[in-house]
Amino acid sequence: MMPSAKMLPLMVAGGVVTVVVGFVLVVLIISTFSNPPFGLGNAPAQPVAFPHSVHVAENNIQCEFCHRNVTKGEAATVPAVEQCLFCHQNIDGTSDTASAIAQTEIEKVRTAFETDQPINWERVHRLPDHVRFIHEAHIRYFTDETIPVKYGINGEEIVESPDVAQTCTICHGDVGNKVEVQPKTGQSLKMGTCLDCHRENSVPTDCTVCHK
Amino acid sequence: MVAQRVDHKWGMVVDLDRCTGCQACVVACQAENNIPINTKDYFQQRRAYEWIRIERYWEGQFPNVKAKFIPILCQHCENAPCEPVCPVFATYHNDEGMNVQIYNRCVGTRYCSVNCPYTVRFFNYWEPVWPERLRNQLNPDVTVRSRGIMEKCSFCVQRLRRGEVNVERRGLEPLTGERIPTADRKLNYRQMKEGNYLPSCVQACPTNALQFADQHDETGPVKEHFDEANEQIETREHGGHVDESHTRVYRLFEEIGTKPNVVYLKKVEPFPVEKA
Repeated sequence: MMPSAKMLPLMVAGGVVTVVVGFVLVVLIISTFSNPPFGLGNAPAQPVAFPHSVHVAENNIQCEFCHRNVTKGEAATVPAVEQCLFCHQNIDGTSDTASAIAQTEIEKVRTAFETDQPINWERVHRLPDHVRFIHEAHIRYFTDETIPVKYGINGEEIVESPDVAQTCTICHGDVGNKVEVQPKTGQSLKMGTCLDCHRENSVPTDCTVCHK
Repeated sequence: MVAQRVDHKWGMVVDLDRCTGCQACVVACQAENNIPINTKDYFQQRRAYEWIRIERYWEGQFPNVKAKFIPILCQHCENAPCEPVCPVFATYHNDEGMNVQIYNRCVGTRYCSVNCPYTVRFFNYWEPVWPERLRNQLNPDVTVRSRGIMEKCSFCVQRLRRGEVNVERRGLEPLTGERIPTADRKLNYRQMKEGNYLPSCVQACPTNALQFADQHDETGPVKEHFDEANEQIETREHGGHVDESHTRVYRLFEEIGTKPNVVYLKKVEPFPVEKA
């Protein structure tokens, strides 16, 4: 049955509304389940405004100096307060080059040390509970000079063996030049990301290699 | 390099002559694999989780009675009946001869548990709970399975992975302590064998009734039992006859053709119970 001339605009309007609402719903659903949610990559607020850029880019501290376990085991580990004090018992942020907030933030760290309280850092990169990820194995692979060609997380070729700090940027982005740590832009920590990289490098993709 | 893998085919030999039914393996398994504590209710509803269990059989009439024990775990069958029925491929056979269950892929249809002739698959009917004081006892290498998914013995694959990383990282021969040349340190290294990687039940067994080895390893301690069992399978496949009175080697439900990777050795009875 052909619709009457009266019904036609109504049907067109209904169709447009359905398409728009459906599109919005699909976008909402996809972005809710993306990692980070809505793809915004907002870093959570940290208890101490720790600037990676000051420590890494300006002062050339190696990643593994603070993240001590990253070349030894599974977790990279966030340094203990004692390790911050290793430098910050002398550096109090009162020098000319230090920013305005440096002194107050360093004071927070010292207070935490004196009162024996840990600093409750907020986690930025979170993997699900059923995934095993070993930082050490990945760093060992990328820094291995006997492997001629390696492939990065987006399929880019890595011909020369990078050092540890360059290896970190493959997945974490250029943390050293950022004030706040954020997940690498456009990079979700999903299984597809891991699998793509594992396939590119022709390393095992058996489920039990990562899933526990 | 990492891409070169050594073929493994893991297997277990259960010597029933040595098994005393002490249940140490059961306890070790529960502790290693984050299995919830079975209550009386669970058993009454036949929903208890026991990745390895000791089945007890009585033989004879009182006072002339003997108890027989058989530890039963996932047989990691070559032709596993649980695998083809899974609609989401949550269970599959990996290249190391293990029947693997991937928990986050499982949707809980329970077809696999229905199809398993050994009843060694367990469904999580409840969210697992532990007493507060046991919270720090949970193994971080094993996922806590949530409600609605299937679980089963994994041959402690988390120990295999950890062992592999140890061999790669430290580069030491696990048995002799010699340094492995860097070029030979590869995933699934040949030295990933018994002694370096043992499931927790095997490690806990006080009488060595459970023994674990790589079936492809020529120098393995129980190689001859695996060989004999594989020979038996081949003979049966070609319609031959296996004389069972002259061997201790057998596999559970061999006649249905699942080809289990767990080999049992018959109990030797020097003084059999008199048949009434």
